[in-house]
Amino acid sequence: MRQRSLIAITAALAAGALTLTACGSRDSGDKKDSGDGGGTTVVIGVDAPLTGDLSAMGLGIKNSADLAAKNANKQNLVKGVTFKTEALDDQAQPSAGQQNASKFVSEKEVLGVVGPLNSSVAESMQKVFDDAKLVQVSPANTGPALTQGQDWQTKKVRGYKSYFRTATTDAIQGPFAAQYVFNEAKKKKVFVIDDKKTYGSGLAATFTDEFKKLGGKVVGTEHINPDAKDFSAVATKVKNSGAQVVYYGGEYPQAGPLSKQIKAAGAKIPLVGGDGIKDDTFMKLAGSEATGDLATSVGAPVEDLPSAKQFVADYKAGGYKEEYSAYGGYAYDSAWAIIEAVKKVVDDNGGKLPDDARAKITEAMQGVSFDGVTGKVSFDEFGDATNKQLTVYAVKNGAWVPVKSGTYSG
Amino acid sequence: MSGIGPLEPGEDTHAWDGRPPKAPRPAGRTRTALAAWHRRHRRITFALLAAAVLLAGGGYLHATRPQRPPERPERPRAEVPYPVQVADVTYLDGRTTPADAPPRSFSFAVLLSVTSGPPVTVTRVTQPYAGLSLTTEPQVPFQTKAGSAHKITITMHVTKCGKAPRNAALPFLDVTLRNARAMQVQSFILGPRYAQDLSRSLEVACSNRLR
Repeated sequence: MRQRSLIAITAALAAGALTLTACGSRDSGDKKDSGDGGGTTVVIGVDAPLTGDLSAMGLGIKNSADLAAKNANKQNLVKGVTFKTEALDDQAQPSAGQQNASKFVSEKEVLGVVGPLNSSVAESMQKVFDDAKLVQVSPANTGPALTQGQDWQTKKVRGYKSYFRTATTDAIQGPFAAQYVFNEAKKKKVFVIDDKKTYGSGLAATFTDEFKKLGGKVVGTEHINPDAKDFSAVATKVKNSGAQVVYYGGEYPQAGPLSKQIKAAGAKIPLVGGDGIKDDTFMKLAGSEATGDLATSVGAPVEDLPSAKQFVADYKAGGYKEEYSAYGGYAYDSAWAIIEAVKKVVDDNGGKLPDDARAKITEAMQGVSFDGVTGKVSFDEFGDATNKQLTVYAVKNGAWVPVKSGTYSG
Repeated sequence: MSGIGPLEPGEDTHAWDGRPPKAPRPAGRTRTALAAWHRRHRRITFALLAAAVLLAGGGYLHATRPQRPPERPERPRAEVPYPVQVADVTYLDGRTTPADAPPRSFSFAVLLSVTSGPPVTVTRVTQPYAGLSLTTEPQVPFQTKAGSAHKITITMHVTKCGKAPRNAALPFLDVTLRNARAMQVQSFILGPRYAQDLSRSLEVACSNRLR
């Protein structure tokens, strides 16, 4: 009898446990949101700095591209195709970027790549991708030469038909910053510093050119080592130059300490930079005296775009640990552009990927057009985004606040 | 009545096996039998009751568990777009300067178009350079509806040649736009053709000869 009742109690407990387990399994079932349409798997490669100083931006790119793939699967946008992302870390190093490019090329399922963050890394990847006809869409590269050739100021020549970007170039960003600094901030004497990298030196050059044309005076120039943290010697030169403003072509890991050390040297003047410094980490590094520092960024503030609200909500719901950062919306649109190109190729081929899918997708990218997170997404004859918006941000109360926005309609 | 009985034993019917049918059970007999069984198998009864309580409790807890927010939040309701998101200004070409314009003036036309949303009103057009002022035709404010465009003739007047940019690469116009959502100032960078025409006009206006 005792045995029988024990069996009964055990059965009851087992039934209860099963009930509870059922609850749990349903929850985990809900989490499975990547979809699995079966059929073909298309991998979208993501290359960005996932570790190191610039990882805040890189991880935002990675997560946002992942979100685009998941949303496409949820919508079953391309029937019979399931999208996945594979992210590789370039550590902001051109050599690592090139290795990653070769790896993506060697993987047959990779039919498009989102990235990289750095223009210098992109330079090392372009030929590798172009030889394999593997399309690349950068959400963040702003160096004009990447799409328009080294002599872009005099004669624009597109070097690689597989390279596209959703970000605006420094050919617009630098002059826009110069106009703001000269005309609105009323600063006529500038000290220009760059980090000798493709992005930094290129941006500093486009700023300087326009600033001089407007009648401004460059009272000093310096190049810093991107690996350095002590900029006291440069800060002293800035102080002694009588500059009213510093323009820095580079990224936030150096811009933050540079701003702090310039102010500490006694030059209470704003530091101005491009999209590479527009990250919240800048304020952490620059300290409280960063108030009044300025940054231009390519694109409008994502939070203000009606088209971006769903992205912001989805990103939050996606449970990503890191912020989407400055390029999240652009990374989402870059990945979505690849998805749209895949869709076009599949639709044109009777619902299947053709054997020369990579070449066809690269070709289709030129005609891609959709309403994305950042507005209308399409590309001009150079592979540049046709949507060219810029915003000037100022540091106020420890945050970047938009103070001016512009649209290039030339 | 068809005269055919149920094919299978049904209610109150019994398969004929040669035995006489049992007498119907008296009322209350079932409860009595259950009570007797309960007395004999008290522990099993307890166990079954415990299982039922546990299942009911589990079900109740499951039904009343704290609900997680939905995986995909509700799509935000459609809002009126910001005016800068639906308005665009593009450069057209140089225009004849009005006869009553002051010396050192020149004119050009831009096109303001509105793609969607409620009407957009232009309340102000300025340019950022010291040494220049401008007027518009039509005069501000004026309204443009979605799906239409408005040609604006801008006449610039050079007040100080020394403070006018002779060869800016990306000059722009600041246009204040207003719609039902907001009022915003947007810089419209009109591109290289505008930059060239502006530079040429400034050269002419600021050369020694007056027009």
